[in-house]
Amino acid sequence: MSTKEYPIVDGVPALIEALKRVKAAQAEFATYTQEQVDKIFLAAASAANKQRIPLAKMAVEETGMGIVEDKVIKNHYASEYIYNKYKETKTCGVIEENKSAGTKRIAEPIGVIAAVIPTTNPTSTAIFKTLIALKTRNGIIISPHPRAKLSTIAAAKVVLEAAVEAGAPEGIIGWIDAPSLEMTNLVMAEADIILATGGPGMVKAAYSSGKPALGVGAGNTPAIIDETADIQVAVNSIIHSKTFDNGMICASEQSCIVNQKIYAKVKKEFTDRGCYFLKGDELDKVRKTIIINGALNAKIVGQSAYTIAKLSGVDVPETAKILIGEVESVELSEEFAHEKLSPVLAMYKAKDFEDAVSKAERLVADGGYGHTSSIYLNPITETAKLDEFAARMKTCRILVNTPSSHGGIGDLYNFDLNPSLTLGCGSWGGNSVSENVGVKHLINIKTVAERRENMLWFRAPEKVYMKKGCLPVALQELKTEMGKKKAFIVTDEFLYKNGYTKCITDELDKMGITHTTFFNVQPDPTLASAKEGAAAMTAFEPDVIIALGGGSAMDAGKIMWVLYEHPEADFMDMAMRFCDIRKRVYTFPKMGEKATFIAVPTSSGTGSEVTPFAVITDEVSGTKYPLADYELMPDIAIVDADLMMSGPKGLTAASGIDAISHALEAYVAMLQTDFTDGLALRALKVIFEYLPACYDNGMNEPVAREKVAHAATMAGMAFANAFLGVCHSMAHKLGAFHHIPHGIANALMLEYVIRFNSEEVPTKMGTFPQYAYPHTKARYAEIADYLGLKGKNDDEKVEALIKAINDLKARVGIKETIADYGVDEQYFLDTLDDMTEQAFDDQCTGANPRYPLMKEIKEMYLKAYYGKNYKG
Amino acid sequence: MKLDNVIYSTENKTIYRDGDKVIKVFDKSFSKANVLNEALCQARVEETTDLKIPRIHEVTLIDGKWAIVSDFIEGKTLAQLMEENPDKTDEYLELFVNTQVNILSKTSPMLPKLRSKMSEKVEQSGLDATTRYELQARISGMKKHNKLCHGDFNPANVIITPDNEVYVVDWAHATQGNASADAARTYLLFKLAGKDEIAEKYLNLFSLKTDIAKQLIQRWMPIVAASQSIKKKPEERDFLLSWVDVAEYE
Repeated sequence: MSTKEYPIVDGVPALIEALKRVKAAQAEFATYTQEQVDKIFLAAASAANKQRIPLAKMAVEETGMGIVEDKVIKNHYASEYIYNKYKETKTCGVIEENKSAGTKRIAEPIGVIAAVIPTTNPTSTAIFKTLIALKTRNGIIISPHPRAKLSTIAAAKVVLEAAVEAGAPEGIIGWIDAPSLEMTNLVMAEADIILATGGPGMVKAAYSSGKPALGVGAGNTPAIIDETADIQVAVNSIIHSKTFDNGMICASEQSCIVNQKIYAKVKKEFTDRGCYFLKGDELDKVRKTIIINGALNAKIVGQSAYTIAKLSGVDVPETAKILIGEVESVELSEEFAHEKLSPVLAMYKAKDFEDAVSKAERLVADGGYGHTSSIYLNPITETAKLDEFAARMKTCRILVNTPSSHGGIGDLYNFDLNPSLTLGCGSWGGNSVSENVGVKHLINIKTVAERRENMLWFRAPEKVYMKKGCLPVALQELKTEMGKKKAFIVTDEFLYKNGYTKCITDELDKMGITHTTFFNVQPDPTLASAKEGAAAMTAFEPDVIIALGGGSAMDAGKIMWVLYEHPEADFMDMAMRFCDIRKRVYTFPKMGEKATFIAVPTSSGTGSEVTPFAVITDEVSGTKYPLADYELMPDIAIVDADLMMSGPKGLTAASGIDAISHALEAYVAMLQTDFTDGLALRALKVIFEYLPACYDNGMNEPVAREKVAHAATMAGMAFANAFLGVCHSMAHKLGAFHHIPHGIANALMLEYVIRFNSEEVPTKMGTFPQYAYPHTKARYAEIADYLGLKGKNDDEKVEALIKAINDLKARVGIKETIADYGVDEQYFLDTLDDMTEQAFDDQCTGANPRYPLMKEIKEMYLKAYYGKNYKG
Repeated sequence: MKLDNVIYSTENKTIYRDGDKVIKVFDKSFSKANVLNEALCQARVEETTDLKIPRIHEVTLIDGKWAIVSDFIEGKTLAQLMEENPDKTDEYLELFVNTQVNILSKTSPMLPKLRSKMSEKVEQSGLDATTRYELQARISGMKKHNKLCHGDFNPANVIITPDNEVYVVDWAHATQGNASADAARTYLLFKLAGKDEIAEKYLNLFSLKTDIAKQLIQRWMPIVAASQSIKKKPEERDFLLSWVDVAEYE
């Protein structure tokens, strides 16, 4: 043992000096490498291990508590098991790196640890705390209990001297020689973290010091012996645990609760193994001795059963292992229900399992919240009982068929419970940790997180068929490849009555596929109509659904498909707004298990045949529910210009401009990729070139019709992946509030949105790693370049793009302002705030490159309403 | 002031009645600070609460001895009444606890803090360093409350007037702090007086009326016992020490 002289810390001034020494040593220690630290950790653990017997003897001699041989085990455990557990653990510098995610985790020491050491385990706790401090490059200053100060300090010296010998800075471990509460409080206030083991008073003092504290609490471990338990294992485990160091481990059993069916056998086993059952007035004598005014008599702590019996005036054999009191009350008025820190055990008879668990619950509440509970049963046949016990115990360790003293400290009877002499009791015990304290609680982990971009995707229907006249050909695979038997056609009344479905039904008839047609779909399809269609589907049980029409019929078809496949799905859940489609709260039901979905557009604009979106209106409340999920993506899209030849002028214009706005918004959206860019640019160029011809003389322009049809679908594929922006947000609400057709509504907002997004000093930009800085002006200029529009710089190119759009709008007969569409000024102004807020909250807003303030949306609405007459 | 009517005396103080006043004369061994402190505590309670207590009129020197002059309260103490009517013990105990609970519902912000007073007394208790350390840790773990605590609440300090008004006297030990500590002190006073049965009844009744768990009151018992032991009555010392020597869970 040490003979080295150290400065004596016996008062506040000396303590302040000691703190300075530890802080200085720690500052140096913080620069050590893992290799240096591991060498020190090994040397210190080895030295403590070698001194396990002298230290155990000192502890028993000084405190007058416990058993030398058991304290040897504790010292051995605190050095060997702790070393073994953490020898490979990285605690210095980079401890974890994930290059692809761009993260690095770096361990740093916390600084100086204030360690409060109890009388019950003075040397082993000192070894444990100093070793984990060394492993984590922390300094430590020990405040021993006055009753155990010499042995605690002796243990600290052993560890310190070995550590210094192995290269640790002098003074990395310090201690108080003459402890007082004043000094303990000062240490706690000056340290960076507190490892407090001690009574509730000390733990509370630690928590009130203002420093982070890892405190532990009182235990009052109940042990249930179920009728299915192996009685020999149960009784002997409890005896082994309860007599260990005379019951001073706080996880030790304080009471056992025995099922009445096996009570007599359990009692006999305890008696046969040398335990003493208190009889008659002996029970009262022991009661009055162990607890005084509800508090544990200090004289019995860590004493033998014989000594305690003698103190109580009870004669028992000197070899008696445990004093057992057979009692009934689990209330605190019963002395035996308390924690006893000695080989004194309460024994209860339980009527049944429920009674046993209720008693255990109460005993835990009496004084062991958060600590440990224990049960003996057959774990193979009684999983339900174990689950019930685990659910009801408010303890951080729930031990099964295990002596709780040894079991609670870990790594002895279960090798996945971390070894520790500081057992966290969670919030129930007023602690900051609920597990066995280890090195991870003594390091600060810094996470270095590099910027990374989100993964993106490109998703489209499995098959997209195109070219004029392709529909009958494409349908043939329903029989040849897919073996479909029943087709359900969704369309609107106009298309149905004008024979648009005939080319489909003829083909189905030829293939012998039975079919039915639902044609009660209105523009802005309603939930009622979708439900009606879904009911028809449920009755018909199709294995393929063919939605034919504009956006309304295709959207209605998608909704019917959902209701048909998943009648249990909640509409409101599916319509819940999300910020990122991959992180949405709701998991959309899996589609396609009952039927394949085929979309066949009859106009060129919506893109619904290739998008995962559908909008449906609740006809009662008037609310529009936009649904978005890749499950809603059609399986097959068939784009056949034959179906579009006779589209009326107005529809052709509105749909064409809708497709333009899809391509424009997808091109500048934050989720834009090279994949969607190509589609968007090409779609724009084609529509600019061919839309006028379709508008002027669509019936006779098959090439232009086909070009625009393909372009609209391409734009759909672009925004199905890149999403849209605030133009659509605002257009949606213009439609909802003022019944302006969707394509027109977009057309009315486009100019203002382009100007808004082109601002290089926006109030707020969108949040997305790929969108690094405001650069949408340049993106619009790229579009102008691709369209062959001229400009000396980006500003001029953006102006040229706006002019080209306005020219095209005028060319296809679209008016300039919202006012021009007959919206009453007063009504517009009255609804403006509601419309603004709803547009702001629209699903499309999230992908816009500029994050709009509501007043900015309002401003754009006003500009679009008044046009050139807007004064601002 | 006439000092011819002695109504009570102990070895170091004598209380005289002079008409509607009482004069409490302290022995010369008494520290001046303690006397002034007693008067100050009582005056604070008088001025900051609506409790019925004797008003202080004067603090003076009489023949070189410090004296406090305050109202004389006509009536019998609860201790006398309990003695005279043993069958009414429960009724008196009810009144006693109600009176204490009423006091505890008040605050008096300038009074000394109970916790620091206890801590001071523990340090002066003459107990060994280890025991003092345990007790100090126990005190520092107690919650900080600011209820008005009488500090020596026992039936001898409660006077019932002929009009059935209840006055509480002797505010020398008044502090602001935890109700549990005040109740623990009262319980201890009953036990020291050998009234074990009343002590238990009192504790149950107090716990019931205040909804404070008995365990919380018991947590203060080692502390109040230690603070009491500085009075060093040899016959009480062993009893008090048995209360003090308890272990905190570890």
